[in-house]
Formats: sequence, C-alpha cells, structure tokens
Amino acid sequence: MSKFNNFRSKLADELEIPNNALSDNFELRMHGNKKVIIENHLGLTVYDENMVSIKTNDQDIKIKGSKFKIEEINNFKVIVKGNIKEIIFSMKE
Amino acid sequence: MLIFKLMYLIRGYVVIRTDDKNAEKVLNILRRRNIAVWDVEKKGKGIKFKISYEDYIKNSNLINEIVNPVIKRGAMLKLNKVKFRKGFSIGLLILIISLYLLTSMIWDVEVVGTNQTNTNEILGLLEENKIKIPVSISRIETKQLETLIYNNFEYKFVDVFVEGSKLIIFVREREPEPAEIKSNEPSSIISVKNAIINKVIAKSGQPVVKEGDVVYEGQTLIMGIVKNKNSDEFMMVPSDGIIYGKTYYNFEMKEEKIRSVNMSTNKSKTVYYLKLNENSIKIIGDKDPYERYDYRESVIKVPFVSNITDISFLKGVYYEEEIKKIEIDKQTAQNKMKVAMYDELLERCDDDSRILKSNINFSEDGEFYYLIAQIEVIEDIGEKIRIFPIEEEQTDETKED
Repeated sequence: MSKFNNFRSKLADELEIPNNALSDNFELRMHGNKKVIIENHLGLTVYDENMVSIKTNDQDIKIKGSKFKIEEINNFKVIVKGNIKEIIFSMKE
Repeated sequence: MLIFKLMYLIRGYVVIRTDDKNAEKVLNILRRRNIAVWDVEKKGKGIKFKISYEDYIKNSNLINEIVNPVIKRGAMLKLNKVKFRKGFSIGLLILIISLYLLTSMIWDVEVVGTNQTNTNEILGLLEENKIKIPVSISRIETKQLETLIYNNFEYKFVDVFVEGSKLIIFVREREPEPAEIKSNEPSSIISVKNAIINKVIAKSGQPVVKEGDVVYEGQTLIMGIVKNKNSDEFMMVPSDGIIYGKTYYNFEMKEEKIRSVNMSTNKSKTVYYLKLNENSIKIIGDKDPYERYDYRESVIKVPFVSNITDISFLKGVYYEEEIKKIEIDKQTAQNKMKVAMYDELLERCDDDSRILKSNINFSEDGEFYYLIAQIEVIEDIGEKIRIFPIEEEQTDETKED
C-alpha cells in the first residue's frame, strides 16, 4: 500500500466515512461461503470453475473453491458465486 | 439482481460466447469500456456471458472482433423486428380496433314478449330518442330505457339488458282487466259465501235480507228491481251497498315431530365444461360425485371470445349433502301451524275483514302435532252482478245472469 493511500485510509477512519470513499482500498463482503462481493477492483486475472483471481490496487485476491460463476462484473464491483473454500490475499510484487 | 435481469429482459440483452482461452482478458476489456457483464459461466474452454443490447450496439465493432454473439433476447428486440413488418403491424392494429369496435357496439335489438307491431313501435321510440343501431354500449342506460318504454307503453313489466352486442328488451303485456260493471247499469248484489248477516248498508236497490239471516253462496242480498213509487211498475236500478256477514273458517293442520332435512357437509367438488353453442363438453372433474348433492353452476365468459362466438366455460359445483333428522319442539311447531293458518285465512278473506273470535286447539300424538281451529270473521260478502230484462215476454220480470 502506497504511503499516500495509507494516509487516505487513516483519514477516512478518523473521519468515520467509508474507507473506499477516500482510499483506493478494495472492499470485500461475503454472504456465507456462497457469494463474494469485491468493490474497487481492477479486473480478473484468472477465471476458472475452481479458482478466481481478482486484481486490486495493492493485492491479488485468489478465491478457491468449486462451481464458480461471475454473477456480475462492471468497472466498480465483481460478484462471484459458488462454493468458496479459501480466500488468499497476496501482495503485488 | 432479479430486478436487474427483468429490466434487461425488457430492454434486450445479448448472450455472447467465446472460446478464447484468455477469457479474463475479454472480460477486462469490456470492463474498461464500462460495459456491464453478468451471468458469466465457464463453457468448455471458453466462457458465456450476457451484455445489454445497448452496449452491444455501441460497441458492436469491438465485440464482433473479439467474440461472437450467440442469441439476442428481450422484448425491445422483438418489437424492433415487428417495426419492419409494417403490413403486419397495421393489420394487427386494424384487427384490434375492429375487435374493440365490434364488441363495444350494439348491432341488434331484440324485443321479447310482444308482437311485431309493438316491436316496431318500440324501435321507433328508441330512434326518436336518438338510439339508432349501431350504437355504443356505453351510451345505453338500461334503467333510463326501461323507464322510457314503461312510460310510453302500457306494459306490466319492462327489462332492458345488453347481451354481447345485442340489446334485449323484455316486456310483459298487461292482462286485460275484467270488465267492470258501470255504475248506471242495472245490477244486484249476491252473497259469495255462506254467512250470517251482521249488518246491511244498502245505498240503492232493495235489500232482501236482514241482520241475523242465514244466507248461502249465490243468494241475493240487494235486489236491483224496485217498485216505482208513482205506478205499480217495477223498474231495474243499479244496486250499491255493503253487507257484512259472519263467516266461519275451520282449519285442521298437522306438523311432524321429527323431520328429515338435507344438511350440507361442507364438502364440494367442481366440474368444468367447455360450452359450444348449446353443447357442453366436460373438461375437468366428475359428474354426480356424491350420492346426495346440491348442484349450482355459473358461466365463465372469456373476454372478447365469448362476445364474438358462443364459446364459454361452465363451472358446476356439487355440494355434498346428508339427511339429518331434526326434532321439532312443541312451541315451534305450534307457531308454525298458527302462521300457516293465518296465511291461509288471509288468502280466503278480503283485506278489510276482521276476526271476531278464534278458537284454536292444539293436540299431539306419537308422530304429529295437531291444530284444530275455528275462526269467526266479519267480512263483506256481497258481489255485484249485472241483471238483464227479458224482452221476449214484454214483462217486467228480470233474470239474474
């Protein structure tokens, strides 16, 4: 995470406003282990039935499981459905 | 998401399939172009997804370069196809307008219950009141028409209703009233019942009975032949007067102590028929499903279709019934018999009759309650009849008709 982005994130926390309103951080929400909603993403890197990889500003998110479908994808958010077993966050090199 | 999908079902969407191994790349290109993608599924090596028809049109060059559209769906796309078939569209529009016009107009008037002459008179009256065929159903005020016909003709009963595209006027003609005896015609008053004379009020004519006399049905009470004061001749005059007589009515009635009545079991079964003209074809359900039942049916009309043709549906409901024995208590039975007795008495007496004395006795046995009664009534027992002179014998004798 860049220093400026880190500062914006802290400022958002202090001001008690949504973090992604000021920073470039992604927001991840889960509905059980069936649905993942990721906002503020930068696109897909891998899409397979057993794995979906999503690029964000600072990290790559790998979602592992089975029967994955992308319910919706647009410039702002991506909704992934399926049986989620694992979510891995890896820092960009 | 459901609303989103429904919205695009109306606005139109395109299903796209690509066998490109780099399906992610395709999705990222579309995302960068701000194209919303949904229902992404893995299909074999490639993927299948949906985009809106608007986005497809805006970016058709790009999309056709990278992928192949498979199916185009949505209401707007269907409408676009229709737009080019102008003849079909115009024909469909004309058909809808024609159907609307045909079903919203009255095309025929049928008068039921009278002869052709009166029918023409009724139709003439309608024309005078600016109701000319064809006329819009909305212009027909049935109650107003009923009043109009009732006021202009001497009908006993008028009913106007619209059935499909037909105006039906149902009339019932008055029955000819019995000819009344004119007040200046010679007449006598006779008794219509066996009675004991209670009071004689003779306004004209010669009374031939007095209080306390026993008279029988058909006996003359006031004679319309009186002697001329100036000569010995008899002359015929119109009789007028009221003769009150005591009459006796005997009643014997019985009422069951235990009665069998049909009671509903709250179970019902429905049967549907397709009705074509006068024929009915069973579609669903069984006929006579219960041993004892009450059957009721109703007609279900199909909008437009039933107006043009005689096709409709018939819904019949069988309500199951069972016989139950109900014990009638004494007071109820007595009241019922009393009411029935007075009803019968009212039918047999005039409206201005007065009950003088009533003697009612109740009794019962194992099966029935009994009522034995004698009612003494005072009522007008006279009836006017016309009398005619006998011309052949050239005498003053008269003969009652």
